[in-house]
Amino acid sequence: MSLPDRIDPRPPRRIYRWDLDKTYLQTEFDSLRDLVRTAFQKAHQKVAVPGASALIRELSEQGDSRLCIVSGSPKQMRAVLEEKLKLDGVKWDEFVLKDNVGNLLRGRFRALRGQVGYKLPAILESRVHAPVEAEEVLFGDDAEADAFIYSLFADLIAGRVDERVLSQVLEAGGVYPDDQARVREAWKKIPVSDPVRRIFIHLDRLTPPAQFTAYGPRVVPIFNYFQAALVLLADGHLTAPQVLKIAVEMVQTAGHNIITLSNSFQDLLRRGLPLQQAAIALSQALEGPNKLLAAMRPMPDILAAFSKRLAALGTPPPPPPVQAVDYVKLIHHAMPRNSKRRTKPAEE
Amino acid sequence: MVGTQPQPVTIAFDVMGTDHGPAEVVRGAAMLSLESPHIHTLLVGDRTLIDEALAETKHNGERISVQHAADFVGMDEKPGEALARKPNASVAVAARLVAEGEADALVSAGNTGAGVLACARHFKLIPGVRRAALATVYPTRSVRGAKEDPFSLILDVGATVEATADDLVTFAVMGSAYARIISKNDRPKVALLSNGVEPQKGPPRVVEAHSRLSSLGDINFIGNVEGIDIPKGTADVIVTDGFTGNVCLKMLEGVHDTVVELAQYAYKESLRWRAGLAMLSSGIQRIKDITDWNQYGGAPILGFDKIFIKAHGRSKSRAIANAGKVAAKVVANNLGQAIREGLKK
Repeated sequence: MSLPDRIDPRPPRRIYRWDLDKTYLQTEFDSLRDLVRTAFQKAHQKVAVPGASALIRELSEQGDSRLCIVSGSPKQMRAVLEEKLKLDGVKWDEFVLKDNVGNLLRGRFRALRGQVGYKLPAILESRVHAPVEAEEVLFGDDAEADAFIYSLFADLIAGRVDERVLSQVLEAGGVYPDDQARVREAWKKIPVSDPVRRIFIHLDRLTPPAQFTAYGPRVVPIFNYFQAALVLLADGHLTAPQVLKIAVEMVQTAGHNIITLSNSFQDLLRRGLPLQQAAIALSQALEGPNKLLAAMRPMPDILAAFSKRLAALGTPPPPPPVQAVDYVKLIHHAMPRNSKRRTKPAEE
Repeated sequence: MVGTQPQPVTIAFDVMGTDHGPAEVVRGAAMLSLESPHIHTLLVGDRTLIDEALAETKHNGERISVQHAADFVGMDEKPGEALARKPNASVAVAARLVAEGEADALVSAGNTGAGVLACARHFKLIPGVRRAALATVYPTRSVRGAKEDPFSLILDVGATVEATADDLVTFAVMGSAYARIISKNDRPKVALLSNGVEPQKGPPRVVEAHSRLSSLGDINFIGNVEGIDIPKGTADVIVTDGFTGNVCLKMLEGVHDTVVELAQYAYKESLRWRAGLAMLSSGIQRIKDITDWNQYGGAPILGFDKIFIKAHGRSKSRAIANAGKVAAKVVANNLGQAIREGLKK
């Protein structure tokens, strides 16, 4: 019996999908001036959202996960973006950028700002090659259509959205026919399963959290990545010491403090996320003889502040109920911000 | 960037019992969380109502926390009785949290009496202060300080009905310290309210207070002023007792309301008057902006070791946010210490 001539990496148990601008990077592109400045920024000038790189590094610690980045940034920025990720110690497995020049040359102007026709086929095609049992956690922001696209992606592969609804959504979203075909083709190749555990939406624009309730409890709007880490601790993706490391990085590099972290913790509790056990795990982690954690003062103070914030609320509310998502009704969430069809939530 | 930020300050807001309901206070705190990164807010009140309002409002969750309080004191309730029946009323819980150091100051737009009483129960008087003073701000013709503040401070307007000469001197020291901090007015003009500008005018306690204030070099005491001087802005700080101050305040409010009613009457009465008002509209708008107490936010209870800013019961979110900013500014500039130092001299 001969030895295999190569050792394949372990199949991924978990897939973490990230957007880049406003999710990982603090990018401004609301005006032409912002766009130009962003385009000419060097890698070291780009700033990551506090805690994002620490979170990605901790999530990859287990060694059996994949990091897939799908960004709306143009392909021409690949070199500088890759350099930035390397500077932050982030290793990726898949990195998809948008072919804006191609869209321009082909006269596909809707595709320049449209997100559904770009991101949905990209992440479905990526999922085609994933093991059926691989769980997914997705990270996006409130600047574009991430909550809509990620939720639709999750419900498509779970078989909760049928062909008719998909067609309505793609038509209403202004998706070009060839991209519609890519969506359908990739979708049909994916075995039905329900792998998406969480969708985190970084509230870059500080959109009121209630605007995401239509997507159900799977979508968790977050003000910072410490909140994402807490939820991922409760979900079993991170350990308590890993969460503490992320928090420490945010304290040391981004001006976070006891008050901001404890407020962030309480904010999630108030929104019904079951984090009481996570607080206990954090407390136990700090009591251990770990030298690294011993150097992480004033983390005990943070825990004391957590306890106070927890006690301040009395009985926690039940977690929000699971609900079906009406994508046809919500398609306007996925329209570009300058689109007349994108209504404000108050008008819903 | 981190190094240039002011020290974090936590302001407790009594969310309940206001004229416009809890959502308006929550919106004010939310506004504060977006505008002032160093100010954290602790919202005290019915947690369900707060969470509902917060979820619908643009805010920064890193800067807001909530303390549940099941009860509250209504505007029409008698403060003493209500607090005795409801020890866990939001204003009492908020005052306790401030006393325990969970927050640095308290802002309430609820029942004034309950607010003062809750502070009296949980806060301590600054050494040398016998009675606390409730201050208010009033729009004036002249502006003052680096901020060109169009408001003067009147105290007391109701906390100490019968003030002694000692009390009036203390009020002057406290009011002067507050005006220095809030209006960035290095030497605020302090005056006693009396029935004549001459030093011997007024009841004995006012005459005695005049004599003692005249000898205090650290206060820019300009002597007595009459009621007519209040809207003129002759003094930046006007000192009186709670009885006179309250009567005076109510009368000034009445004048303001009457003027507004007269303008409305004129508008309806004749086309010529309406045209005249239209021509004056930019001037009227300017006066409206200057006298808009929403810009100012609230007025302090002075004399306690902790800060309490009383916002108007009709406060909308902008006024609440501004009251929070005033409270944070007072905390950051250590008003208590300034008063202590003023009283030592």
